[in-house]
Amino acid sequence: MNSITLHNTLPAVFAGRPDTGSEIWLREVKFERGKHYLISAESGTGKSSLCSYIYGYRIDYSGTMAFDGRDIKQLSVDEWCKVRTHHIAYLAQDMRLFPELTAMENIQLKNSITGHKSTQEIVAMMEQLGIGEKIDSPVARLSIGQQQRVAIVRTLCQPCDFILLDEPVSHLDDANNAIVAQMVSDEAARQGAGIISTSVGNNVKITVDKEFKL
Amino acid sequence: MSNKTGNDNSSKGLMWKLLKKHISPAQLVGFSLASLIGLTIVILAVQFHQDVRPIFNDEESFIKKDYLIITKAVSTAGTLLGGNNEFSPEAIADIEAQPWCRKVGKFSSNDYSLYATLGVGGVGGRSMGTMLFFESIPTEFIDVTDSDWKFNPDRPEIPVIMSRDYLSLYNFGFAASQGLPQISEGIVSRVPLEFTLRGNGNYDTLKGRIVGFSNRLNTIVVPEDFMRWSNERYGSGIDRNPSRLIVEVNSPGDVKMQDYLNDHGYQVAGDKMQQGKAQYFLTLVVTIVIIVGIIISLLSFFVLMLSIYLLLQKNTKKLQDLLLLGYSPAQVSRTYISMVVAINAAVLVLAIIIMLLARAYYLPTLQALGTSGGTVIIAIVVAIIIMALITTGNIIAIKRKINALWIQGA
Repeated sequence: MNSITLHNTLPAVFAGRPDTGSEIWLREVKFERGKHYLISAESGTGKSSLCSYIYGYRIDYSGTMAFDGRDIKQLSVDEWCKVRTHHIAYLAQDMRLFPELTAMENIQLKNSITGHKSTQEIVAMMEQLGIGEKIDSPVARLSIGQQQRVAIVRTLCQPCDFILLDEPVSHLDDANNAIVAQMVSDEAARQGAGIISTSVGNNVKITVDKEFKL
Repeated sequence: MSNKTGNDNSSKGLMWKLLKKHISPAQLVGFSLASLIGLTIVILAVQFHQDVRPIFNDEESFIKKDYLIITKAVSTAGTLLGGNNEFSPEAIADIEAQPWCRKVGKFSSNDYSLYATLGVGGVGGRSMGTMLFFESIPTEFIDVTDSDWKFNPDRPEIPVIMSRDYLSLYNFGFAASQGLPQISEGIVSRVPLEFTLRGNGNYDTLKGRIVGFSNRLNTIVVPEDFMRWSNERYGSGIDRNPSRLIVEVNSPGDVKMQDYLNDHGYQVAGDKMQQGKAQYFLTLVVTIVIIVGIIISLLSFFVLMLSIYLLLQKNTKKLQDLLLLGYSPAQVSRTYISMVVAINAAVLVLAIIIMLLARAYYLPTLQALGTSGGTVIIAIVVAIIIMALITTGNIIAIKRKINALWIQGA
């Protein structure tokens, strides 16, 4: 997948509102593979909605969105599964971890269907993020910040053309923010993937090719 | 990168760990018990019907089922006054018009002199002869293969179906008192049999062959084409109405039919009607039991459905999160489908085992009544079909429910 395009897209709940000057909604937008994008937004401007449309689990919008020119509403369930395991790596804002599973089990649940990282690589990433000793702890017993780091590792456990991050560092300090930025940038560089990151203020410290205001 | 199989297993293990939460063992046990009881009742009823049925069916494969032989009652007054026991064409037409009647066949008898010789002990052995009679009924009431049941004037040999009573009379009455050997049905079929036919200026001796014995036909039956040929050749040419009719009926236990026969003073040969009634009640009782079993099975099916819906409802968030990770709805469904298939398979096997045990319990009683029981295949096939239907219903419901989680609400 080389591009994600938005044509006149608008969340259904925003229909009829006056133009707010968004650089995403009701515009022509193109995200290209290999480039880094930051979408800065205030709360309630449809940031998570945008991510859920791109990831295919919500369709309550008007206009069109396309992968390489193909309307994503035409994608079959099987094609979406392929998108989610091979083309777009997604970190949801609410992380969507399974609290009863351990940190490692949560990550393996993703990695076992993609086979992208070895156990050693996963352990190394967790240690890099300072959660090496939490590998076998149930996620329910981790702090929000620790959970966010587990979720980031899980996100990177797949081949991809785009890494889609919804407020990836909202619960991280500057030091961890920097580590995450480095880790994500490295993974994107390795795969030639693009990065689309949203933020309400605490930006992930990656170099950005283009910034959009939502 | 670790190997693929290991990954598959670990993902299945993790899925199970994740999704087994909220599974209620009590609900599943409740479903399994209800399902087991329902299925066992159904297949036990089917099996019992299979086992008991042979008692009601005589094993005369060459006579079609569900027919009656009727005659007019012979009264003393009728005998003295020269009354007529024949069925007039109007009476026959009236019977044919009855709703319970499918087909009427007339018995025709020989119109010439007939003498039969039964050779016992081969050439030079003793032989036994008697004056005899023949009757015939239309071939469509007889189920022997064509080659056995026809007459060819160029190579005359007369096939005969004989009342089993005649053989009993010979064996237990005549042979015993005369010091003759008792003969089995198998041997009788091979005993040389000769019929001498005389009348209308013709005189011939023809060979005969017994093709079967009947409990129901209390007479000696020959093919209709032979009867026609022989009556033309030896007979007087006078047409007579039949005094016996063979009637194919919808159900031998029919009350309306019984009333009709009583009203007209017709008699039914044999105990077919009593048997018909008993068989009717057997079928009725078995049907009721099967319906009860099916209702229980259906209820258990809905218990399982509710249980699964509840489970899916409680696990909605998890299931959606799995879909977001890239698991397909099919992969996510598989955990619950495997569970349902395992439970249903266990219920199926248990139900069949219980059915076989129950059968082993009642079979000795049936054996005392002279039947070794029917096949168990049908009941097992019925069990498999019912379980396959229930399982298919479960699987479709699970898949639909999980597919519905694909698009999440805003």
